[in-house]
Amino acid sequence: MKSEADIRQSLRQWVTTKSKIEALEAVQDHTLILEKRIITSVQLMDLIMYLEFLMDKPVDVTQLKPGVFNSIDSIYQNFFNNASRDVTAVELAGS
Amino acid sequence: MERIVNLAEKLSELSVTHYNNPYVMFEWPEQIDPDAWYFTPEYISIYGTSEFEQLDDAGKKRLSLLEAVNFFSLNIHGEKALMRGLTKRLYHNRPKEVSDYLHHFVGEENKHMSLFGKFCTRYLGKVYPSRAYEIPNELDEAEEDFLFFVKVVIFEELVDFYNLQMSNDERLHPLAKGINQYHHDDEVRHISFGRTITRNLFNQLKPEWSEEKQVQVQAYILAYIESTWKEYYNPYVYKDMQMKNPYALYECAWAMDGARVHREKAGRKCYKYLLDMGALIKEPQV
Repeated sequence: MKSEADIRQSLRQWVTTKSKIEALEAVQDHTLILEKRIITSVQLMDLIMYLEFLMDKPVDVTQLKPGVFNSIDSIYQNFFNNASRDVTAVELAGS
Repeated sequence: MERIVNLAEKLSELSVTHYNNPYVMFEWPEQIDPDAWYFTPEYISIYGTSEFEQLDDAGKKRLSLLEAVNFFSLNIHGEKALMRGLTKRLYHNRPKEVSDYLHHFVGEENKHMSLFGKFCTRYLGKVYPSRAYEIPNELDEAEEDFLFFVKVVIFEELVDFYNLQMSNDERLHPLAKGINQYHHDDEVRHISFGRTITRNLFNQLKPEWSEEKQVQVQAYILAYIESTWKEYYNPYVYKDMQMKNPYALYECAWAMDGARVHREKAGRKCYKYLLDMGALIKEPQV
């Protein structure tokens, strides 16, 4: 089981690796990654896939709320924080 | 508009004279034949990787079934979105003849989905879910109309490349081959309609767009092409094949030179259409 620090580090690393911006400043947990176009909306499908493998649970994209991908912090809170995790991560039969 | 009306009338007539009933066209074996191909091996998403090469013949054929289910699944998700868009446009701001054809279009897409769903659930027990997620945008109606139809053309052109190739691949199981042939036969009409209406909308809108707007539209189209292609690479297929590190394999398969060459080849017809129309000014690098 990964710690919160490990998960946040994995997310920062994924975002930094995928960013198409040259000379990217360090991505902080509160950096607005979509608004600053560090990642683009087309990369969200990739990010969702990555989150699923990090959580080992599928994500129901129809249940996603606006703002969940704003920052590393919002991603962590929505997908990995136990209190809100079940809202977005669901068990899918056979997967 | 006259051209679209004439085309819609002609396509409606063809939909009637070329009507296919998929509910009686195919023989559905109870069990899947494990010794058959269901997807052209060279088009399997991880073709050329060491993971693919390490599979024995039975493993490769099993993977071809899962890739076929992924292909039919992405078709289901794409066609669901397509049907939502088409029904929204019925009897709205266009001549009656266009709505008449949209009824055929929607009906044919519904039959496709039913067929794909039957194959997926019967032989793998599931449809792979979609991860496509789009942040809602505020667009005016004409722009939304153009972006909807250009996405229809891109989605259907890429699918049709596979349909056409696989309908001619004698190695495939007759059911897989037949479904691809049936889908291709209907898609020819859908693509013809989509291309004409998209070009018509683009020619109306382009003179009104600023340079900045044109750049935004091109970026949107390029992004859609990339995200559409990504759905052909599904790490859950690799997971179901008990392969190690399915997400890493997904990234590796996507980035391979051979895969880029394949996407360029499969998308060439579609990209040429977009470039000729002026909706793109450079070929997509995906």
